[in-house]
Amino acid sequence: MKSPARTTIGEQTERDIGSGLLARSRARAALIPDLLVEAKRVANNVYAGWHGRRRRGVGENFWQFRPYRPGENMAAIDWRRSARDDHVYVRDREWQASHTVWLWVDESPSMLYQSRTAIVSKQSRALVLAFAMAELLSRSGERVGWLGIQPPIAHRHAAERLGSALMHAPPQTDFPDTISVRELSDVILISDFLEAADGLHDRLKQLANRQIRGHLVQMVDPAEDAFPYSGRVEFRDPETGTRMNAGSAQALRDDYRALFAAHTKSLSLLARRIGWSHTVHHTDHLASQALVALHMAMSHDPGFGTGGR
Amino acid sequence: MLGLPLVFAYPLVLSALVLLPAIWFLLRLTPPKPREEVFPPLAILRRLVKREETPARSPWWLTALRLLMAALAILAMAGPVWNPREAVLNGDGNLILVIDDGWASGNDWADMRALAGDALDEAASASRTVSLVRTTSPFEDIAPTLEPEAARRVLDSHENIAAEPDHEDTARKLRELAASGETGEILFLSDGLEHPGTRELAAFMSGSGLKVAIARAGDDLAALSPLANAPEGMRGTVLLPQAGESTPFSLTGRDQKGLPVARTSVVVPDGEKSAEFNFTEPLELRNQIASVSIEGMRNPGAVQLLDDSNRRRIVGLVSGQSADVTQPLLSPLYYIERALSPFSDIRDADTANIEEAVTGLINQNVSAIIMADVGNLPEDTTAQLQDWLAKGGMLIRFAGPRLAANPEDALLPVRLLQGDRFIGGALSWEEPKGVAEFEQNSPFFGLEPPAEVQITRQVMALQSRDLDEHTWARLEDGTPLVTAGRSGNGWLVLFHVNSDNNWSNLPLSGTFVEMLRRIVDLSRSTLSNSELNESISLPPMEILDGSGTLVPPPAGLKPLEVAAGTTPVATVQTPAGLYGTENGYVAVNVLNSADPLVALDTASFAGARSVAIGEAGNTEIRPWLIALAALLFLADCIAVLWFAGAMSPASLRRATRHNRVATATALAAVLLTGLLVLAPGTAFSQSAPGGNGSPKPELDYQPALTTHLAYVITGIDEVDRVSKLGLEGLTRYIASRTAFEPGAPVGVDVASDELAFYPLLYWPIHANSPVPGEATMARVDAFMKQGGSILFDTRNQISSLMPGSNAPENVKLRQILATLDIPPLEPVPPDHVLTKAFYLLDSFPGRYAGGDLWVEQLPTSDELDARPARAGDGVSTILITSNDFAAAWAVDENLRPLFQTVPPNPRQRELAFRSGVNIAMYALTGNYKADQVHIPALLERLGQ
Repeated sequence: MKSPARTTIGEQTERDIGSGLLARSRARAALIPDLLVEAKRVANNVYAGWHGRRRRGVGENFWQFRPYRPGENMAAIDWRRSARDDHVYVRDREWQASHTVWLWVDESPSMLYQSRTAIVSKQSRALVLAFAMAELLSRSGERVGWLGIQPPIAHRHAAERLGSALMHAPPQTDFPDTISVRELSDVILISDFLEAADGLHDRLKQLANRQIRGHLVQMVDPAEDAFPYSGRVEFRDPETGTRMNAGSAQALRDDYRALFAAHTKSLSLLARRIGWSHTVHHTDHLASQALVALHMAMSHDPGFGTGGR
Repeated sequence: MLGLPLVFAYPLVLSALVLLPAIWFLLRLTPPKPREEVFPPLAILRRLVKREETPARSPWWLTALRLLMAALAILAMAGPVWNPREAVLNGDGNLILVIDDGWASGNDWADMRALAGDALDEAASASRTVSLVRTTSPFEDIAPTLEPEAARRVLDSHENIAAEPDHEDTARKLRELAASGETGEILFLSDGLEHPGTRELAAFMSGSGLKVAIARAGDDLAALSPLANAPEGMRGTVLLPQAGESTPFSLTGRDQKGLPVARTSVVVPDGEKSAEFNFTEPLELRNQIASVSIEGMRNPGAVQLLDDSNRRRIVGLVSGQSADVTQPLLSPLYYIERALSPFSDIRDADTANIEEAVTGLINQNVSAIIMADVGNLPEDTTAQLQDWLAKGGMLIRFAGPRLAANPEDALLPVRLLQGDRFIGGALSWEEPKGVAEFEQNSPFFGLEPPAEVQITRQVMALQSRDLDEHTWARLEDGTPLVTAGRSGNGWLVLFHVNSDNNWSNLPLSGTFVEMLRRIVDLSRSTLSNSELNESISLPPMEILDGSGTLVPPPAGLKPLEVAAGTTPVATVQTPAGLYGTENGYVAVNVLNSADPLVALDTASFAGARSVAIGEAGNTEIRPWLIALAALLFLADCIAVLWFAGAMSPASLRRATRHNRVATATALAAVLLTGLLVLAPGTAFSQSAPGGNGSPKPELDYQPALTTHLAYVITGIDEVDRVSKLGLEGLTRYIASRTAFEPGAPVGVDVASDELAFYPLLYWPIHANSPVPGEATMARVDAFMKQGGSILFDTRNQISSLMPGSNAPENVKLRQILATLDIPPLEPVPPDHVLTKAFYLLDSFPGRYAGGDLWVEQLPTSDELDARPARAGDGVSTILITSNDFAAAWAVDENLRPLFQTVPPNPRQRELAFRSGVNIAMYALTGNYKADQVHIPALLERLGQ
């Protein structure tokens, strides 16, 4: 991936997809404990899952006794337990459910960017993350799908299935069609989110309105964040091909970094407003960092979620 | 060119200037190309950069810079010369070439000769004749008029001479020439200084009506005044003809072989014409200085040659009394030291042993030895002193009670009567005597006899025929006060009074200082001690050439006549240099006084035209142009780097290591190039540091850093091995049980190693070990007297049990101790502090249990009180056992004992170690434990 004699800071890489990617994602996933998808808002699930949710709900296994509260269904009272003292107890069962998670990775040309300090291109890292999530989710019995390519499947080897489907599909460059996403599903969107903010915000809001919970993973190349350019530089946008000359790039650095931070911040604010999680991942960091962050966001009630719950 | 005094050596190169427009065009054509970078968040960036457009062309000032650089390079190639030389002469007729060829021309001799050569060229092309007048020898035997070629040959065959020019004679010669009609034009090449008669010369030249041109050299002349060897250093003055900016000079003192032995530097401050310098090197080094010169000056005036009279004498002092350092005023040497210290260097004898003292002083190469009241000298010393005197030493003796009691001494100039004469005491009629006038043949002649001096006691010389010859100073009644005599090449001088104020108050007087000074001056000054008041003639040995270098004298130089009491002057016949022989010589210097140099005042030559001399008027501009171009190149490089962004700190930080090194290298190379070009014609000479002889051999102080147990190497391997292992075992034991952590045991050779570092020596005795010699035992004795303890171990407790044995080890021990001063011994008494030094012990077993440990007998206490521990004031310097401690202590590396105890008893080994600990603690702490046992009583007394 790295050519030995590079003079530029960033470069456009080839689209990275294949079994090597899968193996890497599997290795990442092996580091993570079984993912327990928090699915508080999924009321009556459609598909029975294989594992308990570590909370009361509909299921078969005993979870806990708790005091009966007036207004509850009398049928829930466990009379055998209640007979042992003066209180009335309800037998709770552990909630067992499976859940649908949709994955999507932006494969537009800008994602193929890799700078000198980054370990891999953004797209490569994004796919690794996506496959790792797929592996984790399928291992815990969730249904995993890929927006625009693969409907949700519950399969032990869902990641492989997604991988082969992805290989035969054309690159996903535009924001995917979300018609097939049903409410109360989770959507994991991995992209650099560099397209015009207005359209993106509108789309995300629409999804949120449909009671879909989303997780945004923003891929950032270190060069995009730190702007290590100096001197006379001609910048080229890989998506549009637009060019721009900067006489002394170092002079732009502080302003650019402020703007970029504002861009990230606005995305983060949007995610918080609609109750989604937002994870920023730099490609010079380890993929497992992002995976853990995503894992935290999915398995727990995220602390950053404020509205909509 | 254009009215400016500027010409080009290669004017054709200037045509390259037409290329400048082409260069300008090329420069405008190629702006620096930007780097292309892929950048996905360009949309964000674009919001910033709408206003900023990068120029496609390099800025105008960069272009101008490069154009200027090219123009400068072309100009430099054309070889511009500022202020080219004009014609030297502007008259006709005979050319009188007056040239200063004295010492001051040394620096500029080449330039002066070149200018003279130019003048001769012009004279030759105008078919003029030349009269050559050299100012050092205006009346030399030379034709009054010469063809220019002949004059040039004369000039080429002469260097300037290390002597003063004679302008007075020169003026007379010019008058002669004028009178003979050989006149035309005068060209005076001056060395830049006024010399005797310069005024006459100026008066003649301005009054003769001839055309006069003066070329004045000597702008950067510097000279040295005579040196004075003061106690704190060798002083001299750097003289300049005219005040100017502050100028640093470095001075080097060289020995007779021309090797630098001393260096110093001095700065002549702004506006001053002289500055004093000082060689602060040690006296021994200063005394080696045979010449001092200003670095970089190539004239004989910048060199001062030294002869014997400049050396400070080293005087050694020996006293018959053991000097009491606490009462220095009573020391017989006190007044002598005070009197000598202003003009000589004093070496005190560092030992009371006269034999050693004399040997030491002679080895220190003293010029004179002063003995205050030393009576009988050992025979060896007498012989040694006579030997030394024969080689030219000087022995100055002062009388005193001891000398008065031993008048039969070989080392006296006159024979003495036994006893001393007491003048003016209570039982005497006579008054104390004063000092008579000094006679003419006395070295003191000329000194005022001190009126206040009163002599009350003196030793009397035996009357003899030659007593008068030997007498240098007398009392009023004619009896000698100071007598002297030759002894070989040296001198014997006797003061008939003693050196403090008991016999006379002479040592308190200032005359005493002068007398000593004159006497000491006699020592080793080989020339002055021949006939003092006759002039002598000395052959030239080495002379200074025109550039101030000592060279063998050319043939035909006259010998130097030195009149008594005068300083010889450098002349043409006897230029500055060294005259005499290797054994003794006189230095003749150009400058004999510290009078300031006077610069030639060209204004006094009324109507004279001034001609520039040397390269000063003829400046090549090329180096400066190239330097400027290099500077511009540097600026251009920095500008380009800055444009490329390589100068931003962030990029420097982020650049890979390789890149950074490359950038730094490039920058350094650029800077270096610039600096090299910027310093045209500057040469740096690295001077080698003066070698100060071999370093002093260092005593090995390593053993002093840690306390070590030590054993004496007997030379018998088995014994030494056991000693070493034993002490190692004991060292471990001590380190583990006590706060004392000794270093690794050391084997010492009592004959050669320094013993002072070790508190305790373990000395095993073997029947076959050699008995040390007397010198060695003296060292051991000194060790014991300085507080060291020795534990002798005969290791024969078991064999000495045999009936009727006089064990060979005991015999050996007795032999060893025979030369030592051994106090009475006793077996360790039960109340001895050794039994309580660390462990409480009642016996001191080693490998064997039965033997006693003998120590110095303690003073018996009269009261016989029940003190739990007794100790003398010190540590017993000797401990003797027969129990073979080392064998009991010896362990192998696994800490297993090597020797079975006799009887086999582990407890005994433990006790042996404890004995060792107690002995070591006793050696280190002395009677400390004896005091410690009183602590309860002390506390009780204190009311605690």
